[in-house]
Amino acid sequence: MTTRRLRGGRVFDPVHGVDGEVRDVVMRDGRIVACDPREAVDEDIDAAGCIVLAGGIDLHSHIGGGKVNLARLLLPQDHRRGFDALPPPGNALELPSCGHCTPGTLATGYRYAEMGYTSVFEPAMAASNARHAHMEMGDVPIVDHGAYVMLGNDERLLELLAKGTDPQRLRDYVGWVVHATKALGVKVVNPAGISAFKFNQRKLDVDEPHVHWQVTPRQVIATLARAVHELGLAHPLHIHASNLGAAGNIASTLATMEALEGLPGHLTHVQFHCYGTEGPRSFSSAALALAEALERHPNCSIDVGQVLFGQTVTASGDTMRQHVNAGVAHPRKAILADIECDSGCGVLPFRYREQSYVNALQWSIGLELFLQVRDPWRVVLTTDHPNGAPFTSYPHLMRLLMDKPFRDEQLARLHPDVAAQSALKHIARELTLSEIAIMTRAAPARLLGLRDRGHLGEGAAADVAVYREQGDAEAMFTRAAWVFKDGEPVVREGRVVATPVGATHFAQPVFDAGVERLLDDSPLGVHRRYAVIGHDELCACGNGGRLLPSACEARSA
Amino acid sequence: MPGHGPGDSGTVPWSGRGARRPNPSHSVPLPQGRLRFAWPGCPAAPLGTRLAVVRLVEPDWTCPFCSLLCDGFALERGAQPPVLHGSDCPRARAGLAAHARHEAPVASIDGIAATADDAIGEAARRLAAWRQPLFGGLGTDMAGARALFRLAARTGAIYDHGDGEALVHGLRALQDRGQCYTTLGEIRARADVIVCAGTQAVAHYPEFFRRCGLEDPATPCRRLVFLGAEPPPGLPDAVPMLHIAGSGDLGADLQQLAALTAGARCRAPDPQLVQLAATLREARYAVLVWEAAMLPAHGALLVELLNRIAAGLNRSTRAATFALGGSDGAYAAQQVFTWLSGLPLRTRAGARGLEHDPVRFASARLLQDEAVDGLLWVWSFAPERLPPTTKLPRVVLGPPGMGPRLRQAEGAQQCVFLPVATPGFNAAGHLFRTDGVVVPLVVARDEGLSGVADIAARLLERLEPVA
Repeated sequence: MTTRRLRGGRVFDPVHGVDGEVRDVVMRDGRIVACDPREAVDEDIDAAGCIVLAGGIDLHSHIGGGKVNLARLLLPQDHRRGFDALPPPGNALELPSCGHCTPGTLATGYRYAEMGYTSVFEPAMAASNARHAHMEMGDVPIVDHGAYVMLGNDERLLELLAKGTDPQRLRDYVGWVVHATKALGVKVVNPAGISAFKFNQRKLDVDEPHVHWQVTPRQVIATLARAVHELGLAHPLHIHASNLGAAGNIASTLATMEALEGLPGHLTHVQFHCYGTEGPRSFSSAALALAEALERHPNCSIDVGQVLFGQTVTASGDTMRQHVNAGVAHPRKAILADIECDSGCGVLPFRYREQSYVNALQWSIGLELFLQVRDPWRVVLTTDHPNGAPFTSYPHLMRLLMDKPFRDEQLARLHPDVAAQSALKHIARELTLSEIAIMTRAAPARLLGLRDRGHLGEGAAADVAVYREQGDAEAMFTRAAWVFKDGEPVVREGRVVATPVGATHFAQPVFDAGVERLLDDSPLGVHRRYAVIGHDELCACGNGGRLLPSACEARSA
Repeated sequence: MPGHGPGDSGTVPWSGRGARRPNPSHSVPLPQGRLRFAWPGCPAAPLGTRLAVVRLVEPDWTCPFCSLLCDGFALERGAQPPVLHGSDCPRARAGLAAHARHEAPVASIDGIAATADDAIGEAARRLAAWRQPLFGGLGTDMAGARALFRLAARTGAIYDHGDGEALVHGLRALQDRGQCYTTLGEIRARADVIVCAGTQAVAHYPEFFRRCGLEDPATPCRRLVFLGAEPPPGLPDAVPMLHIAGSGDLGADLQQLAALTAGARCRAPDPQLVQLAATLREARYAVLVWEAAMLPAHGALLVELLNRIAAGLNRSTRAATFALGGSDGAYAAQQVFTWLSGLPLRTRAGARGLEHDPVRFASARLLQDEAVDGLLWVWSFAPERLPPTTKLPRVVLGPPGMGPRLRQAEGAQQCVFLPVATPGFNAAGHLFRTDGVVVPLVVARDEGLSGVADIAARLLERLEPVA
């Protein structure tokens, strides 16, 4: 029972209104505890000159679930330097694992921890491949994890919708899938669009019917949002809206918000869904329109999916939209898959270029969103790793948000039309450390219903990140001085010092088991007897990590 | 647990080597679908077609012996060998027959029986002494692959699957151009044209067409084509079949087909290929099936052509490829090693970092050139799949039945043998299906044997820590 005291750091804990006050943080038995400053502790850690935050929480990062592993297979060049191998880890604790935009799972865990992140969530788990997702996440060391199961393109749900099935039955079906796959939340990707593409439909607007099932994305959104709400899942429906990446898609994004009918919804990587058609290139920023819509829709939250320049790979379940973009892949190769009547997969390497008008505007739109949405509790910092940029670029993104001169300097290097016209030029806002703490800790914890994470109050899990304070936010957030996972040190001076197995978060909704009668012989890709992942199996998949079930309290619509 | 439906415990036995399954009994609710009444010596029959019912066998076994990983088979576990119901798959029966005898799990050092502990100690000592180990075979499940990666990282090994030559065709095509693929569920739901290119499919994957739903009267499939392969006997009657003998050079035929489907003009095209190109363009969802093990040298070029055809068709209609391969843990190892390290098999986890080379690190080549000085061979499936003949020292992890075979074979010397369980037979586990779905495996006969994961972890423990 080691008690550790972080003494004299400036603490940022927005949940408790602590904004940079110098105070001690004490950890015992994996929890934050109250402790008299005079009380002797086992380890007294001098945190003077440091800032102290809860461990970072990434609520949207593709760290498992199949498509990123396909991306690794697709990009051997991401794992070497020219003709040479990347050097082996200089840390004997680290197993060999490498890669820039698609690092191995081991490297993924090490790099997240070094930046002070302690929980990461896979947003696109195919229901038929939940076991794979849990295994891959289980092999991401140090950080806790969980996943949102993809629904809304499964033929079963679309068929039930087409038949006009009772919403309660649909809710039970959603509950069963969450239960079977051990998901924490539910995600919908291009509602009904992935399925429609399998029927050779090339485009699907929010009120356009699916060519086979005659169901609209609006119906799918409304149904799933209601099911998620009534089941009592903490995380609102996680929505990758229609028309990803298409000029003018702000219209379908706003229509998607309306389709929620006031129920909670989390719109993900909105940067990719925030484009107008103005200007000579018929491609413009609609960030302000979205920010204003968020004011009108307090039921909605977002994460941004910021684009940063350089080579990456885009991996999405949205085959309909990824197929459209296959021609601009760089290097020119692509993976496209239709998966088990429940989802799809499109993987395209891509290089965002400063001198590309479109890419530069995407960069600007993301930052405009961060800076124009007033309520930081409804904005989460993401790059949609690896789609907008690898997660390792978070510290750079934080500096862009916190440092106006630095931001202007970057803007000046971009395509001249964007540099001249971007709304960013006129946005003076610089995010504070407290706002960064909200967007990277407190808000994602709240949106995921993780009551004991994302803050430093008494009883919270002792996931703590300590950074040496300095003028350059990028340098500060790149290498944490200390990181504690459940009260134990895992990083010291930006270097991994322990590699515990992370825990798995999952939801336990209550539903009518009679819904299983609706299933066929092979729901979720395997025999119905094995469709449900049990707790023992989940633990085996997760490499023996702890299971962190969260109870759900059913709600009425 | 909230008070609802399926129990979270007991769906699949996961406690280590797997809890003993309950005796097949009538007390368990009867599943729908592939239920069969059966008795020894008689073929299985659908429910209701026979009056004399002797024994009920639950369709609760998943066959691990090929990458179709068929689930919902019934297995009479008490019989010797266990009797399969619900399928007459020769590959499944052969797999079961190979494990029929209860071989005593005897570890050995240089052909002489040893305790497991002594053998593990000696294996670790030898492994540590090798300057460049090769991990070959890798015929194991996901848990085994996870543990073997750690052992490879510790020993600086090069690793390749026993069927790496077949596996690398798909890998290299993927690395160069990507792929466009589909899964069994999608084929059953929407494939109206299925083209088997250079393969009969069922010769090595006997249940393939059943898994595609071609026996189902409601199958959407309207055309089954064999290109460059003889149609196998016993095809479902309901689906019209077309045989295109081709030129004898599958690559040339696919090249021509790619041109024809893209609308290019070809000089003196094969009329059957012209017809096939038209059929593909008119199809709503065409699937091009290929089999990794049937491809010639440089098969990646053929895979690339198939993907190019599918990608071209996708401009106006829908199409995809489907690979048959990855059996005996090949896909499990490929996927697990890739996600852990970032790079696939045929990689060295050495002092220079992770070096991947799909040609140079082929295990047969390394052994032939004696570019390695020791072989760790892992094959937890067929006991007859011995390590390749080599003068090099070996550590072998295989089913108990492999031990006597090794001793009989030339060169039991310089060899430590460690018996391991077979996933899906006497151990639970997970494998990747040929279409990428992870399938859980259950215990058919619990014999208390350690799996590859356990042995690899114990080997790692016995190695000296890194200085």
